[in-house]
Amino acid sequence: MITSRTEEELHDAAASLRAMGAKVSAITGDINDPNHRTRLLQETNLMGGVSLLVNNASDLGETPRPELARASIDRFRQTLETNLVSPLALIQQALPQLQQSHGLVINITSDAGEAGYERWGIYGSSKAGLELVSKTLAAELKPLGISVVTVDPGDMRTQMHQEAFPDEDISDRPLPEVTLPFWAWLIHQDPPTLSGMRYQAQGTLWEIPA
Amino acid sequence: MRREELSFERPTHLFASQPPEMRGQSRDDVRLMVTWPEGDNTHHTFTELPTLLKPGDLLVVNESATLPASLPATSRLGSIRLNLSTRFSDDLWIAEPRWSPSRPGPLPLDEGDMLQIGDGAGKLLKSYPGIPRLWLTQFSAATSILMGKYGEPIHYSYAPVYPLEVYQTLFSRLPGSAEMPSAARPITPRVHNMLLAHGIGITGVILHTGVSSLEIEDETVEHQVLYPEPFHVSAATANAINAAHARGGRVVAVGTTVVRALETAWTGKVIRACAGDTSLYLHPGTGVHAVDGLLTGLHDPVTSHLAMLSALIGIGRVKEAYQEAIRHRYLWHEFGDSHLIWKQRVENN
Repeated sequence: MITSRTEEELHDAAASLRAMGAKVSAITGDINDPNHRTRLLQETNLMGGVSLLVNNASDLGETPRPELARASIDRFRQTLETNLVSPLALIQQALPQLQQSHGLVINITSDAGEAGYERWGIYGSSKAGLELVSKTLAAELKPLGISVVTVDPGDMRTQMHQEAFPDEDISDRPLPEVTLPFWAWLIHQDPPTLSGMRYQAQGTLWEIPA
Repeated sequence: MRREELSFERPTHLFASQPPEMRGQSRDDVRLMVTWPEGDNTHHTFTELPTLLKPGDLLVVNESATLPASLPATSRLGSIRLNLSTRFSDDLWIAEPRWSPSRPGPLPLDEGDMLQIGDGAGKLLKSYPGIPRLWLTQFSAATSILMGKYGEPIHYSYAPVYPLEVYQTLFSRLPGSAEMPSAARPITPRVHNMLLAHGIGITGVILHTGVSSLEIEDETVEHQVLYPEPFHVSAATANAINAAHARGGRVVAVGTTVVRALETAWTGKVIRACAGDTSLYLHPGTGVHAVDGLLTGLHDPVTSHLAMLSALIGIGRVKEAYQEAIRHRYLWHEFGDSHLIWKQRVENN
């Protein structure tokens, strides 16, 4: 199951997955809409339930990225809604299916959530929140057999990265496929041994607690 | 560092094609060159190793055993070889399709291509980002079974294939390496006993090696991409190494794989227990901190191994030592002679 607000991109992604032999359902919608979330999970239930939930949808916030002192508070709330509140809401709604499958939740975060870079405070604080939500969930959901990790994919040549650096040539950043080996590695690990970990997909160490 | 700086003339006449035991000798019947911290080189037999170390020193060996990771395969290009490199699961590997043991790729293969391996099959999912000769490959059957039925040890043009036990060392205990971690090959039971009698400790890590690197392709040595390798440094091993350092003993990695595992587990002060997959690349820009010396073989030009040796002692000294080894007709590669390299002393360290 894949979802996005942008119909055309979503259907392209679904087509390329189907070409690889995957059975894919694609539903367009906004993750902040509770009805959309409900619909997604009704559909996954019919497909046999969720065993892996990846929260990737994110909002960069205002562009050009403002300093916190001048940032729009309404826009801040909106960013937190997309990057922090809705991922938790989706996890809550998916819990019965995840418990059934002893599933894994992967929340996509960012080094901006740790570093305190200038002009990254809005997006960064939403991701810092998601890191803590993930760590806490990892502890709380352990008895249910559900595992939670966070993944910082690193700088990549994506639309969001271009929006973050509107005047820069970002062609020196790698394409997202640079992270494929990491994903192949991650989904073949035993989730309970990893729960609570934070990964850098482009890092030199993918650690398993020794 | 530019790639030419790691270049020297490949001494093809000195490539060891046969392990010493196949010539009726003992595995420890190889030579040992030592490159000292001051940069001078001395020449020994391997059995002198215990006398070249001091009581309290610690050798760290790789306990990974070699797999029969080279599989015959049929593709739309005809008969090829598929060398398994890094395991993600029993049915998903990073693998290297080659024309033959002696002829590397990259082969003109595409995403979705199927490779037939006996009664099993592998599907090429995606070429490895930045390393086009390697493919993420999904198998229809357990690779452990395919290797058992059809596999042989990975070998290259300079040596024929030998039985699997030739590719194991005294310390091999956990199968997982695509290629033999060969540095400990000459450590026979008698050398082992002499080491222990001299008060030299031995401890182990696991690092499952992938297929050996070809030449570094990027013009800038530091930009080369390395693929991940599974490793494990236990708490007991970390404690043994930290204790050796604390008592003033020297820690010698037996093989470049051990350096890689220990540097990954290095916190900046001590070794910690650590496991997972590492793609850490050691070159002159990174230095080497976790070990004081390296016991290894003699390596090809323009490889990541040579970048690591340069991190230990600088490329100038590596080249001096290699010229000396060529003059003295040392033998290259996994069945060849040994090289003990002491790290250059750094002031205020």
